[in-house]
Amino acid sequence: MNVTTHPAGPPTAGGDSVPAAGAIDACKYYGVGDAQVRALDGVTVAFETGRFTAIMGPSGSGKSTLLHCLAGLDTLTSGATYIGGTYLASLSDRELTELRRTDVGFVFQAFNLIPTLTADENIRLPMMLGGETGDLAWIDHVIGTVGLADRLKHRPSELSGGQQQRVAVARALASQPKIIFADEPTGNLDSTTGTEILTFMGDAVREFGQTIVMVTHDPVAAANADRVVFVGDGKIVGEMSDPTPDSILDHLKQYGV
Amino acid sequence: MSSGSTVLLARKSIRSRLGRTIAIAVAVMAGVSFVVGSFVLADSLRAVFDDLFAELSEDVDLEVRTAQEFDGDSAREPIDVGLADELRAVDGVAVVEPTLTRYAQLVDADGEAVTPQGGPTLGVSWAGDNGLQGVTIKEGAPPQGPGELAIDKATAKREKLAVGDTVTYLTDTGSHQGTISALIGLGSGDSFGGAALVALDVDTALDRFGAGTKADALDIAVADGADVVTVQRAIEAMLPARTEVITGEQLAAEQADDVNQFVDQFGIGLLVFAFITAFVSAFIINNVFQITIGQRLRELALLRAVGASGRQVRRMITVEALILGIIATLLGILGGVLVARLLVAGFNAAGAGFPSPQTIIAARTYVMAAIVGIGITMLSVVVPARRASQIPPVAAMRPELGFTALRTKRLVIGTIITTIGAMLFVIGLFLRPGGTLGLIVLAGGGGLVLFVGVASVSSTIATPVTRAIGWPVEQLFRTPGALARQNVARSPRRTSSSAAALMIGVALVSAAAVFASSLRATFVDTLENAVTADYIVTDDSFQGLSPIVAETLAAVPELQAVTPVRGIAAQVDGDTKAFGAINADAFEKLVNPDLRSGRIAGLGLGEALIGVDPAKDLDLTVGDSFDVTYQNGVSGQLTVAGIYGDATFGNWLIGLDTLESVSDAPARDFFIIGKLADDVDAQRGDVAVNAAMEPFPQANVQTNAEFRTSQEAQINQLLIIISMLLFFAIAIAVLGISITLALGVFERTREIGLLRAVGMSRRQTRRSVRWEAVIVSMFGAVVGVVLGTFLGVVLSLAVPDDVISKLAFSPLIIVLILIGAVVAGLIAAVYPSLKASNMDVLEAIATE
Ligand SMILES: Nc1ncnc2c1ncn2[C@@H]1O[C@H](COP(=O)(O)OP(=O)(O)OP(=O)(O)O)[C@@H](O)[C@H]1O
Ligand SMILES: [Mg+2]
Repeated sequence: MNVTTHPAGPPTAGGDSVPAAGAIDACKYYGVGDAQVRALDGVTVAFETGRFTAIMGPSGSGKSTLLHCLAGLDTLTSGATYIGGTYLASLSDRELTELRRTDVGFVFQAFNLIPTLTADENIRLPMMLGGETGDLAWIDHVIGTVGLADRLKHRPSELSGGQQQRVAVARALASQPKIIFADEPTGNLDSTTGTEILTFMGDAVREFGQTIVMVTHDPVAAANADRVVFVGDGKIVGEMSDPTPDSILDHLKQYGV
Repeated sequence: MSSGSTVLLARKSIRSRLGRTIAIAVAVMAGVSFVVGSFVLADSLRAVFDDLFAELSEDVDLEVRTAQEFDGDSAREPIDVGLADELRAVDGVAVVEPTLTRYAQLVDADGEAVTPQGGPTLGVSWAGDNGLQGVTIKEGAPPQGPGELAIDKATAKREKLAVGDTVTYLTDTGSHQGTISALIGLGSGDSFGGAALVALDVDTALDRFGAGTKADALDIAVADGADVVTVQRAIEAMLPARTEVITGEQLAAEQADDVNQFVDQFGIGLLVFAFITAFVSAFIINNVFQITIGQRLRELALLRAVGASGRQVRRMITVEALILGIIATLLGILGGVLVARLLVAGFNAAGAGFPSPQTIIAARTYVMAAIVGIGITMLSVVVPARRASQIPPVAAMRPELGFTALRTKRLVIGTIITTIGAMLFVIGLFLRPGGTLGLIVLAGGGGLVLFVGVASVSSTIATPVTRAIGWPVEQLFRTPGALARQNVARSPRRTSSSAAALMIGVALVSAAAVFASSLRATFVDTLENAVTADYIVTDDSFQGLSPIVAETLAAVPELQAVTPVRGIAAQVDGDTKAFGAINADAFEKLVNPDLRSGRIAGLGLGEALIGVDPAKDLDLTVGDSFDVTYQNGVSGQLTVAGIYGDATFGNWLIGLDTLESVSDAPARDFFIIGKLADDVDAQRGDVAVNAAMEPFPQANVQTNAEFRTSQEAQINQLLIIISMLLFFAIAIAVLGISITLALGVFERTREIGLLRAVGMSRRQTRRSVRWEAVIVSMFGAVVGVVLGTFLGVVLSLAVPDDVISKLAFSPLIIVLILIGAVVAGLIAAVYPSLKASNMDVLEAIATE
């Protein structure tokens, strides 16, 4: 990957808002020759600060790969990803670690929590790792909002799936990162619990100005977002602002999904 | 970066993975306990002997005795009792007491010799009440004159003897009778360190022990108020040549030193096994950490994903190990005290006769415990922690990506390590750079490196070998057997690391077996070819046999040749050598020493027979003379009469007359060999020899074949002791297999749940896990036997030819080892198989 061929700073999204993160001509190939899989095949996309973006697309289209690369969990074959004003490729492993701890939050589909730590400890983990206490008032507020006050001393194994996801969302919010990535955070939950989590994430964006990028297969879930980006075969194949479940479904049908 | 968070994570992890924590702690503890136990035992025994000898010579201020020219094993020359009167005239000398310690043994009413358990039978002189030897009278009054004696109270109790009883006792001059005048003890104890004692007054002792006018030494107490050093100077000034005067403290220290040398060697021997146990523990600990890091892959990746640095992950794992290591070490120290007690009890049960010591834990012991306990834990975790730190964050969502990070180039590194280890081992044994230390460091270190190497390369052969071992299991147990076989074969690396510890234990047992078999074969060979004697008389009294025994035997008409074997230390060309003294005319008929030149019979005064090796080294041929200095300071020349090849009786032989001409020390025979006359059959010979030896119960008469059997039995016993000392290591190894298996069952929860859901019975589940364990332990045993046999062969080849000249193997032991491995596997499987079969099916399937 050759960073010097890219513009000196991350581009603006062209509009009034500044991108919190994005990718420029990002490619990620697995394997070689005939067996080569192009998980990402030239993706250029930007995510504006303070907005809730959903990523949709068929299975195997590269959504998770894109998210991992954006978050600095994985590296690209070519192209670039950035968070705030920083190209991830230019960071050392230590700087990348620091960035994940302070600037990025995560919610995965499952296995979000360290099984040996209590819910409370899991929420504070990124701060603890940095040797900080974080903004205590904010953390209390987050905990109150997710409605976990009475479950704080429990271990993940003593929590329901929905509760576990709420702890994961609380952890992502607690450190006030520049951006939160969520990969099918409600994929394993029933619709009521899923809606709760999504509403909560939506509130975080609208009330606290949090930036969130979420992968989902569920049009209803995606409708909570301000914008939907459609991915197919490792490429961006379309997008839509202020979506509703119906408009999303229409769009998906257009692509024969 | 915060260390608080890593400590918190480590602590939590320890607490929530209790089973694994306990397993690691037990492994560490076992190693530490054994190390601590070895130190505690040696230190405690040493203290007992220090006290004993200090007490014995408590009242002795000075001792006058003959001087020795250099350190060696010869008995000290006796000293003229007449000197005592001159010493009494020295200013400040209060008491002078000649001391004698010789052979004396009580005979019970049936004429059987009374033998104490493990201790020697001693005859001593005792000056009575104001005597200097730390003797306390328990009952009665000191013996006076030829009709009385005192015995130790412990023996009196055992033999139900009391003051006033008349008893018979044997000395070098024959059988005597006396009345018991006193029961005595040492300080507050009833016994003298396990020895059975006959005490006589000084004149009686000189007479009955056949000492003439010469005592072992003259003990001196100075007058009240006299300065010991001043008196010592005054005595020094009047002493004849080749005599010396030393203080009581020096004497006690010297005597304690002799015993403590044995204690030290014993302690070092135990330590070797202790370190082996610790080494094996390290394998287990490493394996458990390795596996659990695999299991915690997603968790560790998640930590990285939310912002933990690689260093923090590594530190967390390391802190976990450190906490465990510290706790286990503390417990191990407690365990060590217990181990020391057990070892004393164990060795005493085998007849060692150790006094039961108070427990002494030296500061050095704590330090060693910490080094071993914390050391092996930290060492074991280095690689797993480094691997853990390399898990990429993305593995939180894609665990398969994490596993590639955990994989290493085992084969290349393993082969390199194996080669280096084997090379060090061979170089250490054969070239011995830097002498004994080099030998121990290189051969021992090389052995350990070799084990590490083989443990890592053995994964490459794990699949085919376990498939072969598993074949009969599959035939026998169908589906469960097939599952067991597949499970073992599907993770060859896991299989080889769980079997590694057992492999080491088995390798050591096999190496010892080859060594012992070869030793035995060589020994039998020697007895068959080099020794043509029909009888071998050895000594049961620890004192050496009185010359009368040999004289009596020589007078038996049924024997055509008899020679005692005596010894003296002498320096040749600056090196101390052990010289044997024999009756050469008889020796020629009794031994076939592979004479290369010269003659044996007719060996004259001032002549010597020497082995080919020293002859070559010193460039001596028959007729040449060389200078010798004996340990008592006498020097002279010896002329080479013959040169021989078989070193069974040592490389230096002189005639008994030559020995007598240079030394006045009381003659003691190590052993006596004799041969039947040509026309006498074995049965008649046995009757005649046994009748002749009747008055000498301390003389143990054996025929050539009996002697061989008893020596073989000793070699077997040695092998058994080595195996028992390896027991700890092997028990730890079995524990290791058990833990690995339990972790494996835990990993396969879902899979086992599925099998149960589709109809596998609990019994079948148990059976499958059980045979998996057996296959794993058999694998370890097979690799261990192969590796151990190699080590044993190299070791046997490295030993000088007069000790081992023939390689031998013991198929029986190999079969026993393999059977043992099956049993070990079954034991290891108890817990994991129960765990697997008791799994709740629904819960198991719901597990992610
Ligand atoms: N480690 C890997 N090795 C080879 N191919 C991979 C690897 N990881 C992902 N892929 C491939 O890359 C492509 C994109 O995978 P990705 O997980 O990003 O899809 P996705 O859009 O998240 O799918 P889903 O909706 O099922 O989660 C897939 O075809 C997948 O098979
Ligand atoms: Mg995905």
